[in-house]
Amino acid sequence: MNIKNRKSWELPESAVTPEKNYLNRRHFLKTVGMGSGALLGASLAKGASSGFPSILNQDFNGEDLEKTPYDLIKGYNNFYEFTTDKGDVQKLANKGWQTEPWDIEIKGLVDNPLKIEVNDLIKKVGGIEQRVYRFRCVEAWSMVIPWDGFPLKKIIDLAQPKSEAKYMKFTTFYDPKNAPGQRGRSIDWPYVEGLTMDEASNELAFMATGIYGKPIPNQNGAPIRLVVPWKYGFKSIKSIVKIEFVKRRPLNTWQALQPREYGFYANVNPKVDHPRWSQASERVIGAGFFSSRKPTLMFNGYEEQVAHLYEGLDLKKNY
Amino acid sequence: MNTFTRWLRKKWILYIFLCIPVFYVFVPISQYDTEYLADPAKYLLEYVGKAATILFVIVSCITPLKLLFPKVSLVNVLVFHRRQIGVSVFVYAMLHLVIYYFYTGTWEIFIEDWKKLFILSGILALVLLLVLTATSNNWSVKKLGAKRWKQIHRLSYLIMLLLIFHQAAQEKTGYRETAIYFAPLIILQSFRLVKIGMKKAKD
Repeated sequence: MNIKNRKSWELPESAVTPEKNYLNRRHFLKTVGMGSGALLGASLAKGASSGFPSILNQDFNGEDLEKTPYDLIKGYNNFYEFTTDKGDVQKLANKGWQTEPWDIEIKGLVDNPLKIEVNDLIKKVGGIEQRVYRFRCVEAWSMVIPWDGFPLKKIIDLAQPKSEAKYMKFTTFYDPKNAPGQRGRSIDWPYVEGLTMDEASNELAFMATGIYGKPIPNQNGAPIRLVVPWKYGFKSIKSIVKIEFVKRRPLNTWQALQPREYGFYANVNPKVDHPRWSQASERVIGAGFFSSRKPTLMFNGYEEQVAHLYEGLDLKKNY
Repeated sequence: MNTFTRWLRKKWILYIFLCIPVFYVFVPISQYDTEYLADPAKYLLEYVGKAATILFVIVSCITPLKLLFPKVSLVNVLVFHRRQIGVSVFVYAMLHLVIYYFYTGTWEIFIEDWKKLFILSGILALVLLLVLTATSNNWSVKKLGAKRWKQIHRLSYLIMLLLIFHQAAQEKTGYRETAIYFAPLIILQSFRLVKIGMKKAKD
């Protein structure tokens, strides 16, 4: 079996962003924005990380995938912090909720805890790259999204976790004033997710700050979110304010809510059904009424990169 | 009977009313609503399911309404149209099933999913609706006799329970929608039971 098992710290050459591209957003605004007038400046100022050029990582160039149109990516969202209505999130997430500036706290069992503004964090980890990933929702629909961001491993390297750290716990913002969904009590806000250290160190685990080369829209989890493409979408927590390195496995929000239906691992698996529907296939967003189904792939097509993480684990029990 | 209620008794008015969901679904389609464009099968599936549920609640409210407000002319209009409204529930539920077939995409998944309680409750409700629809004509009433016919049509209470389960099972957080859809029916039925109880106590 040919498993390409690159050490997680070994980034491919293509992932390296040339140093001259590590532009500080504010510097970028000053030089480009002033020269090209207020209009360009205004559009760039919307959202964090807009000044960072993103270069396509050829290992994840998505050549064989059909990318979902931008309008559907930003118009069809599950973001219960705002509403359960996928078509309305776009409107509600852009009605006064501020995503810039945005501080993110990295703490717990680490040698180097820090609290840092997202733009500074991007600068610190060396800028961003673009990766085209499949995105599979547990509700059996899927998209193909060109994300901009950086490997989660870079945050681990920055924080220097102690050996007792076994899991990473991620927490979303809490702002019921601007996020109407958080005024409801059916979910214990704020949203929480978690990964094992091995999962978090995997080369695929990604922190996204953009989509299609533009700053990530509010409704898609501005200004920074997790993307773990071999797991169901709910693992890819949005709008992160806190990352903790912990000893015990965090109880993720959906597992807390419906433990029979949603587990900790949530790996995409066509052979393990949801109690209410089949996971064997998925509806491709934007493909129309009659031709929207295609088979779901094991680990969402990333078996080669992640299967070794779950050797010996009963995936039927650990859904 | 005033002119307004006489007008409401016209069958073509009723048919327009029963077609409102069909007209209304063209609004998102014509506006290129992203939710519709992103996942049209799911959109239409849920839309038609909701139409069937709402019509079911309306038709089920007629019996308690008649008992509680026998003299209100609007209630009598509903009683007059009861059979057609009932049949429309079946039509929308059937359409829901047809869209569900396209939503699942293949026969294998379509059949496979019947094992799931969520799907099974819907299928059972549809089968029972078929029984009620097939006997919703004068010939059946005559053939079965009023008493037996009435017993058969009490199956609608079983359908109600199945639909409450079917609706509640698809809500991910809380049961808000289920409560909204079925509240009128539950409230009216409770009043009806109270009224029957009071009458029995008097006797």
